[in-house]
Amino acid sequence: MVIESAPDFETQDLLINVGPQHPSTHGVFRMILEVDGEIVKDLIPHIGYLHRGAEKLCENNDFRQGVGYMDRTEYLASHNAELSYVMAVEALAELEVPERAQWIRMILCELNRLSSHFMFLGAFGVDVGVFGTPFIYAWREREALIDLFEEISGDRMMYAYFRAGGLAWEVPGNFEERVREVLVSTRQGMKDFDNLLTRNEIFLARTKNVGIISAEDAIELGMSGPTLRASGVPLDIRKSEPYMYYDQIDFEVPIGTNGDVFDRYLVRLKEMEQSVSIIEQCLERLNDGPIMPERMPRMLRLPEGQEVYIRTEAPRGEYGIYLVSKGGNKPWRLKVRSACLSNLQALRKMSVGQYVADAIIILGSIDIVLSEVDR
Amino acid sequence: MTSDENVDTTNGEEASEIAVVDSLEDTIWPLINRVLSSVDVTPERGSIDLITQIPRSDIIRALQILKDNEEVQFNYLRCLTAVDNESEGVDVVYHLYSIPKNINLTVKVNLPVDDKTIGTATEVWEAANWLERETAEMFGITFNNHPDPRTLLMPEDMTDTFPLLKSHPFAEIEILQGELLGYDRENQGDDE
Repeated sequence: MVIESAPDFETQDLLINVGPQHPSTHGVFRMILEVDGEIVKDLIPHIGYLHRGAEKLCENNDFRQGVGYMDRTEYLASHNAELSYVMAVEALAELEVPERAQWIRMILCELNRLSSHFMFLGAFGVDVGVFGTPFIYAWREREALIDLFEEISGDRMMYAYFRAGGLAWEVPGNFEERVREVLVSTRQGMKDFDNLLTRNEIFLARTKNVGIISAEDAIELGMSGPTLRASGVPLDIRKSEPYMYYDQIDFEVPIGTNGDVFDRYLVRLKEMEQSVSIIEQCLERLNDGPIMPERMPRMLRLPEGQEVYIRTEAPRGEYGIYLVSKGGNKPWRLKVRSACLSNLQALRKMSVGQYVADAIIILGSIDIVLSEVDR
Repeated sequence: MTSDENVDTTNGEEASEIAVVDSLEDTIWPLINRVLSSVDVTPERGSIDLITQIPRSDIIRALQILKDNEEVQFNYLRCLTAVDNESEGVDVVYHLYSIPKNINLTVKVNLPVDDKTIGTATEVWEAANWLERETAEMFGITFNNHPDPRTLLMPEDMTDTFPLLKSHPFAEIEILQGELLGYDRENQGDDE
């Protein structure tokens, strides 16, 4: 039975505050929902709770110290964040990175993409309402990857392993076997997720045709990464502007068709398969050799009046570093272009007109890291 | 007034200007020069991308041309930020990307220290909305006609101090938060 309210029956929209301390906001994110019954009429995001001024801190520190701050912006994919930063410093200092260091960097970045996407799969499962199985599965696979990172860098999250010019130290002797070992369990983990979620009736009902964003809107809003590709835009910086040795690697860029929450999930799952294939190709080409340039200046001083904008494809999209040097051993200006900030801008457009319960999974499907949004 | 100044400097350094333009033949500068023929543009070679200086009075019109023109189609705003050059004013920097053509362009606008106002790029790309809010609160730049001129990362009431300016001391935020953090206000040289 449908009850229609009389035209003169006045109703009031309800304001719901979500966050900043709320488990579904993936960090300290606050949004104010204006709802009419079950339908979201407006959504006002509030960010900035985790703002630490990483850019200002970098401007007051040596070029080599900046690596540590970059870790803390994108803590679920620190290798990718470090990569942009060291590439920016290398571009200005005109440092030639040895081949072996580049291949190891590529392997670590792709492994980090896997661990980051596992984190997404687990957390997203919780958002959708399947707490338990996927979350624990994701944690099991991510644990194996993080153990590997720990063996290499000594740290589980903030690696600080990349250096301008190469790597901090050589990887352990059993690096290749360990990576291959981890990839076996990763493959199995991806299959498990595919079986658990991709064709699950309830999961499909929750995610299909929810939070749709068109390709035009996604580009207009500056979205990037899997969230953009889910809308059918095949933009992947590894393909369009290859850095390191991505031009020598054979891989595909999976794209979605609808731009809904389900596509954003599926694009990430398919992307993980590509990452595994990239890592295997990198391992075949990994040779012995130095990991730092032979002539490394003891004090890194960059030329005056130079600037560069480096962009790389991090798990969440385009992670850009805009570095301006005016001589000396400190950056004059360092701007972190955060993929999550630009993706989060689209949240309002995605959520308005949807159900309240879906607003949470739409937020989950963007896969935000608040410390990258706020920096 | 600023556009007049820019014209003066280009006339004064005409010889070196031509040399710079000649050396940019291998970049996308000839294309950009043709597209932006109605705007006063000064090119410069960057480490990776071409950098162009555009006077403040023409900036939004120029960005709209760059977006709409069929030959370049800069439909994606990668990044928008500012750089404080102390006495030389503040540079607002736009990093543009064209998805169909796969080309990049950096656009810079110089704002004088005493008048940090500029038009809003939200008219051109929606992506500029939050990026401009952040730039505004960090550098004290006013983006005219911005649809949502609230603070983004900073507290709502913190609209009189701009952390990313070079004149802003490194520890100013801690001082503002009070003595709880153990800061000795007397010895910080805080004039306020």
